[in-house]
Amino acid sequence: MSHIVLEARDVRYRYPRGREAICGISFHFRRGEKIALVGPNGAGKSTLLQMFNGMIRPDSGMMLFDNVPVQYDTASLRQLRKRVGFVLQNPDRQIIAPTVYQDVAFGPTNLGYDEAAVKEAVATALRHVGLVGFERRPPHQLSGGEKKRVAIAGVLAMDPDVLVFDEPTSGLDPSGSEDLMELLDELNQEGKTIVISTHDVELAYPWAERAILLADGRIIREDVPDVAFGNPKYVRMAHLSVPTLLELSSELGKRGFAIPERKPRSVLDMVHIIESHLHGSCSHAAPGTITVCNVDEAETSAIPPWVKARPGIVVGAMGTRAKQCAAQEQIALEFTYGVIDKCILRALRGQDSLILTTGSMVGRVAARVEAYCKESGNTISVAGLDPANQPPPQGR
Amino acid sequence: MFEELLEDVAQTNGLREVNTWVKLAAGLSALVLCLLSTGYAGPLFIALVLSAAVLILARVDFRTYAELYLVPLWFALMSAIVIVLISGGEHPFWIWNPLPFLSLSVSRESINTGFFILCRVIGSMSALLFIALTTPMTDLFVVMRKCGIPDFVIDLAMIIYRTIFFLMDQVQQIYRAQVMRLGYSGWRESINTFSMLCGAAFITSWDAGDDLIRAMDARCYDGKFALLGENRPVELRPLAALIAFVVVGSLAVAVSQGMMLL
Repeated sequence: MSHIVLEARDVRYRYPRGREAICGISFHFRRGEKIALVGPNGAGKSTLLQMFNGMIRPDSGMMLFDNVPVQYDTASLRQLRKRVGFVLQNPDRQIIAPTVYQDVAFGPTNLGYDEAAVKEAVATALRHVGLVGFERRPPHQLSGGEKKRVAIAGVLAMDPDVLVFDEPTSGLDPSGSEDLMELLDELNQEGKTIVISTHDVELAYPWAERAILLADGRIIREDVPDVAFGNPKYVRMAHLSVPTLLELSSELGKRGFAIPERKPRSVLDMVHIIESHLHGSCSHAAPGTITVCNVDEAETSAIPPWVKARPGIVVGAMGTRAKQCAAQEQIALEFTYGVIDKCILRALRGQDSLILTTGSMVGRVAARVEAYCKESGNTISVAGLDPANQPPPQGR
Repeated sequence: MFEELLEDVAQTNGLREVNTWVKLAAGLSALVLCLLSTGYAGPLFIALVLSAAVLILARVDFRTYAELYLVPLWFALMSAIVIVLISGGEHPFWIWNPLPFLSLSVSRESINTGFFILCRVIGSMSALLFIALTTPMTDLFVVMRKCGIPDFVIDLAMIIYRTIFFLMDQVQQIYRAQVMRLGYSGWRESINTFSMLCGAAFITSWDAGDDLIRAMDARCYDGKFALLGENRPVELRPLAALIAFVVVGSLAVAVSQGMMLL
């Protein structure tokens, strides 16, 4: 178990002349976790989030960062805020400066970096969120999703250990939300602890490693998502709804389908349950191959001919840089989110697929496919992309 | 939404990537030449060249440019007419004394003066529009810092610049919500609704200010504001164009010195 990065011990907070917003909450986050704080409007999510970086000081109780109690003097707060990045719900309120560059550079400049270091930090942050070339653009000309990315880059530029997002997908269209959640996954892969607040259970359920259900300033339940969201009583108390997949699986369970110990987290899991019920097993004659290409290392110009030589192959991209690379090389993308699962689904139907991705995500593809194969008893092979490779004989 | 229009044009114009100093030098030298000139042809020539630059090089839409140009032009035209009528002269074409203390006349001298002033206004206006349409505010902040304007003034200006667009958006939304519910249907309602708009805008800006401080604090604000310095090099072609423009413009002004219409 990795060590605890952020902890609350019985914190309470009352707004001046108002009701108690946080009524005795204790929890802890471990390094590298993905946590969703879920609750209805007015549950105290935003108030609680603002305690993480010392914007709000609890009336009683204690916040700890790295096992050290948070101090509320200016110097300590600076240190804390450098390490806990906070992304507000409304990017318009978070973006301060007149150009993208200036806004992203705001944190590093105030941390006292020299000019070269600021430039470097900004370039890295913008590359991360896929906004290279936007430096001189004024924020009011950007779309909602782009503004959100600028706000995230502004926080990333300070290289925090913990990233806190208040309603990260509010105001974004569905594809923008999926892109953003994938960006969060990418950041998590790099070792950052990610905390989001949301009332969208469908979003939180497949994404989070741990869910904390909040209502009326109290924790109702803190557990892995399928347990936290699986109990209708807790869900009702938190004014939420049971995720569709969980509801479906419980209904199927009542109709005699074998539901595994681990509740389905994705369409892939669900398909597995249904297929094994129908066929007794879910072995397939000849599953397709998943090819993984790291666009950071591979010769990207070799990808289009490689794809062309294999008619019928589907291509998916994971991560911002991979998507940019696909756009640059004019590769038509079939999948832009939930790519691994969708490629496994295709592979089960005997189709080959190619996943374009970056650095740390390559290992994740292999790990996910391996985990799936182990669980389902299928064998799907994952290969690296070798442009010199001859296309397979036609009519497989 | 005039300001937004101007700034949006500037952000996307064809000369956006040219070094800011070159553009500023072109605009300011044109302004100085217009003021130095004593003949009408020099400023007209400068106006022609700069308008061509804005329309062809910066690829500003003709309609947009014409609209921007016409508003001050009408004003200048009316002022010129007044000058022609009241300045008098030795060779009058027409005199009218409607009142004992008021004499209106049109003379050779007054027409020359009026036309000269009109041309000067046109020339200077082209210079200002050239700067406004090719150099966005965000680039001017960099120049301001280089010119030694105190940091706090620039920081304030930048925050105001950023907030204007946000507030304008908010006001527009409130206004639309009011119109949809027939807020401006009558004279009394209009006044009432407008007062509500002002109140709501004030509260919104207050709220936004609170959030601004919070956002700055969350990112360790310490009194520093980054600026993206001018990193676009002075390229040969724009520089050559600038020099050619200044030389030819000066020549035109020198040649046309004292040139009169009549």
